[in-house]
Amino acid sequence: MYSAEISRANPTMFVFLLDQSASMQDPIGGGEVQRKCDVVADALNRLLSELTIKCAKEEGVRDYFSVSVIGYGGSNVGPALAGSLAGQILVPLSAIAASPARLESRTKKVPDGAGGLVEQEVKFPIWVDPVASGGTPMVGALTRAQSVVSGWLNERPSCFPPVVLNLTDGEANDGDPTGPAEALRQLASADGATLLFNLHVSSDKSPPISFPDSEDGLPNQYAKLLFNMSSKLPDHMRNYAQQEGVAVSEGTRGFVFNADMTSIVQFLDIGTRASDLR
Amino acid sequence: MLAITSTFWVPKRGSSLQEYEDAVWIGPDGDGSGELQTSSLTMAIADGASESLLAGRWARRLVEIFGTNKATRTRPAFVAAYRTAVGEWDDEVAEYTKDREERGSPIQWYEEPGLAKGAYATILAAEFRDGRGGRAPAWSACALGDSCLFQVRDELLYASFPMSDATSFTYQPPLLASRGADEAVLRRHVKVTTRDWERGDSFYLMTDALAAWFLGLNESGGRPWEPLRDMDTLDAELDFTDWVEEQRDRNQMNNDDTTLVRIDMC
Repeated sequence: MYSAEISRANPTMFVFLLDQSASMQDPIGGGEVQRKCDVVADALNRLLSELTIKCAKEEGVRDYFSVSVIGYGGSNVGPALAGSLAGQILVPLSAIAASPARLESRTKKVPDGAGGLVEQEVKFPIWVDPVASGGTPMVGALTRAQSVVSGWLNERPSCFPPVVLNLTDGEANDGDPTGPAEALRQLASADGATLLFNLHVSSDKSPPISFPDSEDGLPNQYAKLLFNMSSKLPDHMRNYAQQEGVAVSEGTRGFVFNADMTSIVQFLDIGTRASDLR
Repeated sequence: MLAITSTFWVPKRGSSLQEYEDAVWIGPDGDGSGELQTSSLTMAIADGASESLLAGRWARRLVEIFGTNKATRTRPAFVAAYRTAVGEWDDEVAEYTKDREERGSPIQWYEEPGLAKGAYATILAAEFRDGRGGRAPAWSACALGDSCLFQVRDELLYASFPMSDATSFTYQPPLLASRGADEAVLRRHVKVTTRDWERGDSFYLMTDALAAWFLGLNESGGRPWEPLRDMDTLDAELDFTDWVEEQRDRNQMNNDDTTLVRIDMC
């Protein structure tokens, strides 16, 4: 299981669920002076960028993945990409690459070759903007994801299982999301069940937690809820998490609390990895 | 020695011929397939990493540089050839970038990180020598990564290099980076060997998908050299492309660029 080839002939899908409710207006904990909606929009833009770069080859981005971005806030549950992709529920990765809403310039610190760091300007594509309004229809979002994933699996029953990533503060107010999450995780290809991961942004000032294997030690009820909704990492993903320095066990789940989750892009195999000798 | 060499290759299913990223170089001039009467035969095989840009171009440069420099016997020779390849790479990228601009297809934002990171590939370079001064004929090889050489004698797998276990192939083999590498670390990863050969031996150089299949079948008591030995002869049931496709269909072989060089020592 979880060993199907991911290729243009046999692509898989990513579904991103983006919490756009009013509570996302609040600042994230841990000393950062950033709103939760800024953090999740930034995280999603970075994930899409990493995914695109991972699949880039000469003169194009290969469609190893299709992508769905579903926003949820207030009475809205639906496509959340901005720019020319607005309104589209499922987009091949090459279209994501070709159509960010805009390219921003950001600076990042890179080694200067002499032991120090120097600031370098890099292009940062934007596909989603921060939104924070209304209630948190997470049940609605998970139900919409079921529909998108089901449609995909009907057409590609042998694909590597779809990956759904929910970026949220966990404060659902349209019911208990546990059941819809379980229903989503039960949708399966011949290669395994859909993977549901959760990125929890919280105003709680507890330290970040990445890929825990138990709800013990999670700081609040929302973190525990999202942890229990999250899939266990398949073996090979657990190995990659371990390489990232995460202490893993068979119970390790696809859940992070106030932490970066861009690494999940690197948990997926599309061919020989480009890594330096160690 | 009289060596008869044959080369076979097929791209990953779903990829075009232009997207094929393995490379082969056979001495004396890079395209030495066929019958070769020579006292020394050098060849190299490389496999560009899927997750890097310009990987095919990097693989082609590596086999040419390792082949022409006979970087086959020692770690210092390996490191020197690698240094040459790295030294030329910036010019290769500049030429590629200029070509893209001239074609009205400039580098896009999603290509920039990959070009900055550089290309990656495996390499295996080997040299076969006649016996001299009472010494037996010998072959030497240097390798980094999971491209393999297998030597078959008297219907047995006589030598495997550098991999000898079908389960040890992964998506993360050691790779040569076009951006350069710490040479002490590089030396630690480079494998070097020298062995004997006899008339009648057959050698098979191959990239990882075929090599994993080869070792797996050998480990289960099969004779993986049999279909490869027959390839392109009257005994062949299928041509190489169809045969590889059949193995892929049966989930016996990973869908990857697949390359084979067969050398029969006569």
